[in-house]
Amino acid sequence: MISKRILIDFETEVKERYEAGEIKAPVHLASNNEDELIEIFENVNKDDWVFASWRNHYHALLHGIPRDVLMNQIIRGKSMSVYSKEPKFYSSAIVGGIIPIALGVAQSIKMKDESNKVWCFVGDMTFESGIFHESYKYAKNFELPIQFVVEDNNLSTNTPVDETWGGKQEVPSDIIYYQYKSDYPHHGTGNWVLF
Amino acid sequence: MKYKDELIRSMEWLSEKDDTTFIGQSVKYSGNAIYNTLSTLPDEKLIELPVFEEIQMSMSTGMAMNGLVPISCFPRFDFLMRCMDALVNHLDKMQNMTEFTYRPKVIMRTSIGSTNPLNGGVQHTNNYTNEFKSILNEVKVVLLDEPEDIFPQFEKAYNRQGSTLLIEHGDHYNDK
Repeated sequence: MISKRILIDFETEVKERYEAGEIKAPVHLASNNEDELIEIFENVNKDDWVFASWRNHYHALLHGIPRDVLMNQIIRGKSMSVYSKEPKFYSSAIVGGIIPIALGVAQSIKMKDESNKVWCFVGDMTFESGIFHESYKYAKNFELPIQFVVEDNNLSTNTPVDETWGGKQEVPSDIIYYQYKSDYPHHGTGNWVLF
Repeated sequence: MKYKDELIRSMEWLSEKDDTTFIGQSVKYSGNAIYNTLSTLPDEKLIELPVFEEIQMSMSTGMAMNGLVPISCFPRFDFLMRCMDALVNHLDKMQNMTEFTYRPKVIMRTSIGSTNPLNGGVQHTNNYTNEFKSILNEVKVVLLDEPEDIFPQFEKAYNRQGSTLLIEHGDHYNDK
């Protein structure tokens, strides 16, 4: 069981190691969404697929990637593209990129009559994009085993999402949605690091 | 055998594999030349998709991550340009990004649009083979010039780890 304290401590350690110059690649740290993710992951089964974005450390830990394995990937510069075969986990650093990949996995699960499902976590800017809506429509119409989760901090890097779109769309009721405000900046830790 | 007949033979051979599936627009319904190489395949092997090339490419990637071998059909090279992000930033980077944990096997088909007897013009007849060979690292790019190349290349595509883009000549459907 991964507690809120474990999540916060992990991210704090990443922060410290990044500031010590041990991690020579961008890191995207999370905070203040621990409770929401812990609750969501209570419904994620061990054999499910999880797709996440560049801010993925919490998702990886909650899905069962061991702490040392994850930290090792981060130190080797893979914070933005954490992956695992068991448990099934994939992430990407391109906005919207994971969505149709997750859709394809869901399609294959249905074709192979497997019993697991796909969880696809996206930010609110990604949710507003065309690729999300095409993928969501396809998944819904063909009843594919995929659950979308929108994590709304109203930011895409430092750009306010609602300002750029002139508003936001309503989130359909079959999509899990939560809002949060992180204490960390988009990437890095907010402190000057001399590499 | 002639060019088109070799393509049909290759597709029939691929369709006999348990893990293959053929996806794209006009795989089940007529509308382009590639359809004419799939019309002998069993219906359950075909997934007709909407026109959403970028999603098609990444759907294929996801299906391959879970053990299927999609034969993903893009009727013209010009249309394949619409999925460059999915191809270049995702499928072509996945082995590197995951340190060979995921090695999706997607077999992509596309065609250089024919110019004879009808010339499709500048949006339908381009050959970007060299550009794709230059930009893709993990995805193998193969130009199908001669009829005798076709079956062995599809065989290799199925048997190798990783993905392959096979490029056909629309004009050769008639002239070879």
